[in-house]
Amino acid sequence: MTKDTSKSPFSLSRRQVLAAGAATALTMPFYARRGFAADTINVGVIQPLSGANAQFGINSRNGIQLVADEINAAGGIKSMGGAQINLIISDATSNPTQAATVAQRMMSQDGVCAVLGAFASSLTLAISEVTERRGVPLLTMSFSDQVTGRGFRNIFQVVSKASDLGSATITHTLDLARKAGDEITKIAIMYEDTAYGTSQAGGLRAAAEANGIEVVMDEAYPLGITDVSPLINQLRRTEAQAVFPVSYLNDSLLIIRNMRQQGINLPTIGGAAGYIIPDFRNGLGELADDVLSISPAAYDQAPEFTERFRERFGYFMVHEAQEHAACMGVLASALEKAGNADPRQLRDVIASETFDEGWATVMSGGKIKFDETGLNIHAVPMMVQWRGDELVTVAPAEYAKADAVWHSL
Amino acid sequence: MEYLIILLQTLLDGIMIGGVYAVLAIGLSLVFGVMHIVNFAHAEFMMIGMFIGWACWHFFGLDPMLGAFIALAVTFCFGMVLQRVLIRPVLGAPQVAQIFLTVGMLFALENAALMIMGAEYRSVTTPYQTQSLTLFSYGSERVLVGMDKLYAFLMALLSGSAVWLFLNKTRFGAAMRATSQDPMAAKLMGVNTDLMYAVAFGLGVGTTAFGGSVVLPYITASPAVGSGYAVLMFTVVVLGGLGSVTGAIIGGIAVGVIQSFSALFMPIQLQNLALFVVFILVLALRPEGIVARRRS
Repeated sequence: MTKDTSKSPFSLSRRQVLAAGAATALTMPFYARRGFAADTINVGVIQPLSGANAQFGINSRNGIQLVADEINAAGGIKSMGGAQINLIISDATSNPTQAATVAQRMMSQDGVCAVLGAFASSLTLAISEVTERRGVPLLTMSFSDQVTGRGFRNIFQVVSKASDLGSATITHTLDLARKAGDEITKIAIMYEDTAYGTSQAGGLRAAAEANGIEVVMDEAYPLGITDVSPLINQLRRTEAQAVFPVSYLNDSLLIIRNMRQQGINLPTIGGAAGYIIPDFRNGLGELADDVLSISPAAYDQAPEFTERFRERFGYFMVHEAQEHAACMGVLASALEKAGNADPRQLRDVIASETFDEGWATVMSGGKIKFDETGLNIHAVPMMVQWRGDELVTVAPAEYAKADAVWHSL
Repeated sequence: MEYLIILLQTLLDGIMIGGVYAVLAIGLSLVFGVMHIVNFAHAEFMMIGMFIGWACWHFFGLDPMLGAFIALAVTFCFGMVLQRVLIRPVLGAPQVAQIFLTVGMLFALENAALMIMGAEYRSVTTPYQTQSLTLFSYGSERVLVGMDKLYAFLMALLSGSAVWLFLNKTRFGAAMRATSQDPMAAKLMGVNTDLMYAVAFGLGVGTTAFGGSVVLPYITASPAVGSGYAVLMFTVVVLGGLGSVTGAIIGGIAVGVIQSFSALFMPIQLQNLALFVVFILVLALRPEGIVARRRS
């Protein structure tokens, strides 16, 4: 190296020039943003793009990207002179500390007007501490009750919260069973002990109690469990008539396979996440048939929008993509209404308006309005069921696209 | 009687998963034993093995149990190259340098996998995944073992014994053990220690990749899968005794059985608590591990 430079000192100075150029290029957006605020609007997207939840994060990013590209192609935000949406996408890994750091950086360096993210409740909770302090709106589809349960002013949850999803799971299941002539009195709940799993199981438990149903098994297990045999052994020894697992993907595959291995064919009602993505079907094949799951949104409710996702990315619009798309839709409408990208004004618009246009309509319920805690009051939990490679909505009745298949005991 | 059956079932479940922990951890133990280097990236080779096994299944319809041999071969060669290029320069270096290197390898391998394979979860479909063998039944109670677990266990047993035989019954194995005990003396006796190191590392990561492929029927492959197993692997080898193959096997089965039995007495959520309580006890009472002989 030293020999090199002594021979041709010019190469060193060229390198310096390049470095200086790169440094200028890096700082350019900083000035550009200040000077021409109308041209681009920085929107922060924080998702787990690597680590255990990477796939969900990538799905979410795809949903947001689709909406942002559509808005930009259609001429940007009109009230701001056609300003283009510029997504600042960052990897939260699957680590809450990292998520908070990324959020901090986005706000201080990129001056984002809002943040969308971050699929997993634990990540979203970490980010919300930062956005709340900074007064930047955070739009999320994380389920946990804590998201809107802490009295934060700047967080908006487009989906039903986990406890509501949990109780809807029970009531819809009872209805479906009753239609098939089954009366359910005993159920089993198993869930991963994360913020999401615990909240949703809490909803299941409360709803079971309210409906006079006995929970004969109620077991939390550690995230990343390597062997579910103990769980299924325990299930086998109960008299449960239906089983409600709440988990991400790997556990969901383990649980279903292990049940079939032990000859257990109980109706299985999943808790969203791992139960309603294409990989669930890819991993299980025919075993996935007729598995039910709760879902905060269903792609068959708004095919005119969601099919555009399938066209671009080649798989059906998974719920996290759909809900994040709705978040982006809300933000775009709010920007349109506010006419500027000041986070505080945006927050007030998001908190007060009803959003019933464009991508905001893909959320279950067809429109979005947030209550004083930031929870979307129009969200309706959907019950979906696997039919071949597709999911269809089977409950509630007014949204159902097909009758549920219920295997009586 | 009913309770006895539950105990039997629990023991069996523990041994089955423990056998797999063992084969995953043997390589880590081997690398430490021969090279005296702690490979923090070791669990990533399990991930690599899983992807190779998955690719063999996906593109050639090869069962993951057979794909495991390809995973072993490919990862063995890859490991030899890695050892030559990256590990060898830090063999005599301070431990901090070794830690930085292997932790760096961990991130590099995980993210390389993310770039190449994407973040999708890859799993295989085989007929035996949903079959089980009823060993014993009494009334309505049964003792059964899943075929996927049974096959994985048998494959683990096979590879564990193969490594043991190689190390203890062949000239090459003797040379490798000599290198681990005293590299200088081994060199003076005409042992090519550089080759020994390369083979030890290749074999170490290869057996772990083999283990990765055999668990494919019940564990989904994704770039981050290794991180969930890294702590388990370290627990297994430290519990059994660092650097010993027998130790890794006993440690693996012990970890599986402890996890499985803890579910009987307390919530499954606490299975790792039980594991680490035992782990700490072993460290306190027998710091050299269950198997390893006390060094003077």
